[in-house]
Amino acid sequence: MSLKPKVVEFFEVWPRLRGIAESVITLRKVERAIWNTSFSDVYTLCVAQPEPMADRLYNETKEFLESHVQVMLTRKVLEDTREDQKDNKATSDLLQRYYTTWMEYSQGIKYLHQLYIYLNQQHIKKQKITDTESFYGNLSSDAAEQMEIGELGLDIWRVYMVEFLASELVRHILEGIAVDRASNGTLDWHRVQTINGVIHSFVEVQDYKKTGSLKLYQDLFEAPMLEASGAYYTNEANKLLQRCTVSEYMQEVIKILECESKRAKKFLHVSSLAKLRKQCEEKFINDRLGFIYSECREMVSEERRQDLRNMYIVLKPIPDNLKAELIQTFLEHIKNEGLETVNALKGENIHIAFVENMLKVHQKYQELIAAVFENDSLFLSALDKACASVINRRPSERQPCRSAEYVAKYCDTLLKKSKTCEAEIDQKLTNNITIFKYIEDKDVYQKFYSRLLAKRLIHEQSQSMDAEEGMINRLKQACGYEFTNKLHRMFTDISVSADLNNKFNNHLKDAGIDLGINLSIKVLQAGAWPLGSTQVIPFAVPQEFEKSIKMFEDYYHNLFSGRKLTWLHHMCHGELKLSHLKKSYIVTMQTYQMAVMLLFETCDSLSCREIQNTLQLNDETFQKHMQPMIESKLLNASSENLTGETRIELNMDYTNKRTKFKISSALQKETPQEVEHTINSVDEDRKLFLQAAIVRIMKSRKVLKHNALIQEVLSLPKVSFTPNIAMIKKCVESLIDKQYIERTANSGDEYSYMA
Amino acid sequence: MADDPENSVDKPDDNDAGKPEKMFTLKKWNAVAMWSWDVECDICAICRVQVMDSCLRCQAENKRDVLGRQDCVVVWGECNHSFHHCCMSLWVKQNNRCPLCQQEWSIQRMGK
Repeated sequence: MSLKPKVVEFFEVWPRLRGIAESVITLRKVERAIWNTSFSDVYTLCVAQPEPMADRLYNETKEFLESHVQVMLTRKVLEDTREDQKDNKATSDLLQRYYTTWMEYSQGIKYLHQLYIYLNQQHIKKQKITDTESFYGNLSSDAAEQMEIGELGLDIWRVYMVEFLASELVRHILEGIAVDRASNGTLDWHRVQTINGVIHSFVEVQDYKKTGSLKLYQDLFEAPMLEASGAYYTNEANKLLQRCTVSEYMQEVIKILECESKRAKKFLHVSSLAKLRKQCEEKFINDRLGFIYSECREMVSEERRQDLRNMYIVLKPIPDNLKAELIQTFLEHIKNEGLETVNALKGENIHIAFVENMLKVHQKYQELIAAVFENDSLFLSALDKACASVINRRPSERQPCRSAEYVAKYCDTLLKKSKTCEAEIDQKLTNNITIFKYIEDKDVYQKFYSRLLAKRLIHEQSQSMDAEEGMINRLKQACGYEFTNKLHRMFTDISVSADLNNKFNNHLKDAGIDLGINLSIKVLQAGAWPLGSTQVIPFAVPQEFEKSIKMFEDYYHNLFSGRKLTWLHHMCHGELKLSHLKKSYIVTMQTYQMAVMLLFETCDSLSCREIQNTLQLNDETFQKHMQPMIESKLLNASSENLTGETRIELNMDYTNKRTKFKISSALQKETPQEVEHTINSVDEDRKLFLQAAIVRIMKSRKVLKHNALIQEVLSLPKVSFTPNIAMIKKCVESLIDKQYIERTANSGDEYSYMA
Repeated sequence: MADDPENSVDKPDDNDAGKPEKMFTLKKWNAVAMWSWDVECDICAICRVQVMDSCLRCQAENKRDVLGRQDCVVVWGECNHSFHHCCMSLWVKQNNRCPLCQQEWSIQRMGK
């Protein structure tokens, strides 16, 4: 045949084509040759001379399809219904018949589409509105717009079949699903497939549409389905409520959710799965929250893990604010347990118990959250909040919170010489950081820690320098460089000093000098150590020490330039050999005490005043160091209270079964005054920090209302403490006094920066 | 009085027995000293930070030497005024006089 357009008579070709089209759409066998002929018939009509007959072909085809679908509707789909109206079983077969017909038609229309491919591609595509046109709303939207044959076929099916049967079909489908629910999902496979097919036909029939292809499905089926399911769920939930405890209810609900999601996959289009699930959750969970929560408190307080786990699963999908009650209860529970374990603490080792008990609580609930709540961040943050509130709780309004102190002391206990093995210490220090992170007053911790570290380093009480350094690094990780800067400098001072001592001793050896004593000197960097310059106490150094001091100072000044050394005698100690008794003893004591002993080299009895004057000690220091000497019975005093007139003399009858011993010093024990001093110095630092912050803020803002200023101060990145408002107010006052800022003239609660 | 548990063995120390000697002999001294820059004023007039601490710039930049110490030393001029070396070297670029006494600045010595 020729492709050349020719004159054709429509009535000659169409009846033939129509017959073939009918065979195609009913899936009857069509010979290859006939198919080919029909194919070219379509072509011939489309390119016919003198006028192409494409439009006519289209209209005739449309009419044919319309009548075909209507015939199918009456003959194949409705037929039985009319006859056996009363027979329920037959009625339900409407679905089956619809499904079979649809399968045939949907397949047939695909073939027909192929047959009309020339019409589709050459004639209709050209008229189609492009995406751009539709986007710009250039829609003439005439009803006569032509569709490709496949689409046309589907549209006709929608108009004549689906819309006619819709309500019946949906009713049957819902019944089918209800049967499946009632029979626990054991509906026979064939039936399931039918229902699934029918449901999907609603989608497929509009699949060709670019937008809103699900609209028919949603309007027609999904909405009623959701409603029916909702009603079913409510009903089920009611039934469950009547026979179940909370714990059973949750188990049941989990099962139902599971089944329903399987069922949804079995029947529905994917787009409905989430919606149905939501509906299910809505009815079983959201609507029943009161019931679910009714035993929440008991479950949490008795830590019924299985129940909590179920509750978590049940509550997981719902919005966070609804979960709040479970989380809040959980938080309270941890908090109570924490307070209970911490409040009962008493005694000397309170710091150890405090940290270890808190750790136990923390670990227990961390484990529980992992096991029960899938490490949900909401629960983890509840744990954090609970721990923070226990740890930072002040015993009363006027007492400060002592946790920072406890935690610092706990570190001290760990880092001091003991028999615990290093791995264990290391582990405990790491755990300790967990508690440390909750502390709000990190600056208090820092103060205590640095004082304790200073003591350990100076008195050489550290278990291991590696552990010390490890701890400093941990703190650095947690709080940053600024926080550990000084700790680090202290630490380095000690290692530098060790080095320096070696060099000094070598230097002495090279110069052939023997000082006669074993000298070990620590040189600390001023400013880095929490010692304070006020603590330098006047002291007339006995000449026995002078040579050593001079040698070292000379050496030191030779090594470094521009530095001066201040001797901290109150922190020095040494060993003194006593040869005045029957046995000789080696006694470890403070420098001041050594100096006192040395005075008795030349005389047997001295008054307190004489000693004090010779050594130029102040009263406090004198008392503090004399008392232990009297108590140790190395010296005898003429009266119990040491006054200026009290005579002191050597106890020549002194005996001790040990030849090497130590005079205990009051210095190494932490006194309440020291604690108070530490806390006060923290307060001072805080005030300075706040004042600086206020000045910076005011400098950039020039004028600021009181409340706005407070807000800005509070929103500063706080590393080491949370400022309280009273303190901020005080700082503002003192800045006004110092004339950094002033109250503005027109308003009482506004400040302005004074340049 | 606390006994040192490590050295509780009861035996007389007769090393030096019989020798005429002093009643009290220093055997060992663990001394503690504190060093600071030998300066008249312990605050650097340029950056208003204590000379014992690093100057502001060094603190901000977190400079440290191999030992982990902050490497920010002090410098003395002929006029005996002292500043952070870092601060002063910036200052002299602008004005080669001591900020405190306006004398010509020349370095007397450097801290080490």
